[in-house]
Amino acid sequence: MWEILQTPQLERAFLIAIIAGPMMALLGTFITLRGMAFFSDAISHAALTGVGLGVALRLTNDVYGTGMQFVLIVFCCLVALTMAWLFERTSLRADTVIAFSYSGAVALGVILISQMKGYQSLEGVLFGEILFASDLDVWIILGLSVVVLVFLLSNLRALLLCVVQEDLARIAGVNIRRLNYLFVLLIALVVALLLQQLGALLISGLIVIPAAASRVVSTSFRQMLIMAAVFGLFAGIIGIATSAQFDLPTGPTIVLANVAFLVAAMMLGAILGRAKSGRVNTSPLDRV
Amino acid sequence: MEADKKPFLAVEELNVRYRDNHVLEDISFEIERGQFVCVIGPNGGGKSTLLKSLVGLVQIHSGTIRKAAQKIGYVPQQLRIDAAVPLRVDEFLSLKLSTDRVWFGLRGTRQKVRKKLEEIGAGHLIDRQIGKLSGGEFQRILIAYALLDDPELLLLDEPMTGLDVRGGLSFDGLLHHLHEHAGITILMVSHDLHLVEHVSDQVLCINRTVHCHGSPDYVLQPDNLSKAYGHLPGLVSGEGNEAFIPLGRLK
Repeated sequence: MWEILQTPQLERAFLIAIIAGPMMALLGTFITLRGMAFFSDAISHAALTGVGLGVALRLTNDVYGTGMQFVLIVFCCLVALTMAWLFERTSLRADTVIAFSYSGAVALGVILISQMKGYQSLEGVLFGEILFASDLDVWIILGLSVVVLVFLLSNLRALLLCVVQEDLARIAGVNIRRLNYLFVLLIALVVALLLQQLGALLISGLIVIPAAASRVVSTSFRQMLIMAAVFGLFAGIIGIATSAQFDLPTGPTIVLANVAFLVAAMMLGAILGRAKSGRVNTSPLDRV
Repeated sequence: MEADKKPFLAVEELNVRYRDNHVLEDISFEIERGQFVCVIGPNGGGKSTLLKSLVGLVQIHSGTIRKAAQKIGYVPQQLRIDAAVPLRVDEFLSLKLSTDRVWFGLRGTRQKVRKKLEEIGAGHLIDRQIGKLSGGEFQRILIAYALLDDPELLLLDEPMTGLDVRGGLSFDGLLHHLHEHAGITILMVSHDLHLVEHVSDQVLCINRTVHCHGSPDYVLQPDNLSKAYGHLPGLVSGEGNEAFIPLGRLK
């Protein structure tokens, strides 16, 4: 199996998994704690419209090129800011805003894309083509990961206080509005820059699943962060190796590897939970 | 230490508006160091807003707040948080102690956190996840959070809501400890008129404006209460202390 590592495509795929897997999992930890799992999903689906627009407006010819990446960054950021603005300014619930942004953007995207000549090339956008990644892509993803980690670490306290109680965050001097907007922009950036490798339909799974798996087996926040990064890392590596070995589509195999970790974590969590069930109540109704 | 020019806390002609809604109107009162002051009044009367305006959480339309109190601890009204939040009690409390934006070390702070928890009788909670605490336990953790930087003034927003009788009783003890032994000045919003009568030096009855202000004996008279709460047949029209108990349980 080690000779397949020799191909430069696989080498780059492994590098991306090793860099982006833990980064997305760490970001996913905060996304799930803030109840924004569907937000990243909505942005990645809306990105289809970005692809359609990029081609329709002749901004770029190549669905996988750097030109398209640029279009995607602008488009995803705009969608994210619009949704964040709607959360803030309307009395609609967040899930409602997400649902109509999501379906509206997908509808527009499909119409635009159906007018395109090279229709079939879209499979790559939907499911990702991590094996098409270039050296430049690897560097971009490395840079992105540094940005995400610096943001998360330098705002750790503010983000956690917001999760617990926003008033306490405000008293501690956190500018919640600014933090929220920066956070959604960061999600948009991650989705835009990894979309071509990981796919519009799959990318939010890669953000959310390691965090969920880690939550099930963690008893502290620190543990949750570490476990999420570990799950994200190994699911990526195992997914790529498995897909190369059995000639399966890479993106979906990585997602399934993540799901396998989640199932294993839930079973482990159930066993651990039962062992100390005298102390831990899981039903909200029990905790009065 | 002689004759502070600044009062410990003085609120003068305070007005707070949310758009056209006049939530607080011309509120004036003063608190001296060491007092235990309770704020009572009907729901929606602006009690929580008053506390929030003291810590800068709501914008003041007009009026002044003068205070000699440097550090103010604020305990928000919150019963519990999402069970999905994995933060442990020690992790949550260390958020208060770290002044840097980067927070990762628990080592230096854990001792301090433990000491504060033990002081308020919650030492056993240190390794629990905050999402899995009961309402009363979480209240204590929020109080510990407020107390961590040793405030001179503690603002409590209905800390007893959701506590059963036993939880309520031990909570009395905690309040007593904080006030009498730790020497903290307390301003507390409460619906429990029985408790208010019991603990406070001064009572402030608020329904948009200050309806009544003074000693508990004075403010808690049925006549004064019915002015603020509206006439409640069978509850406030009764005599003396009987009136307090049902009112406190109304909510």
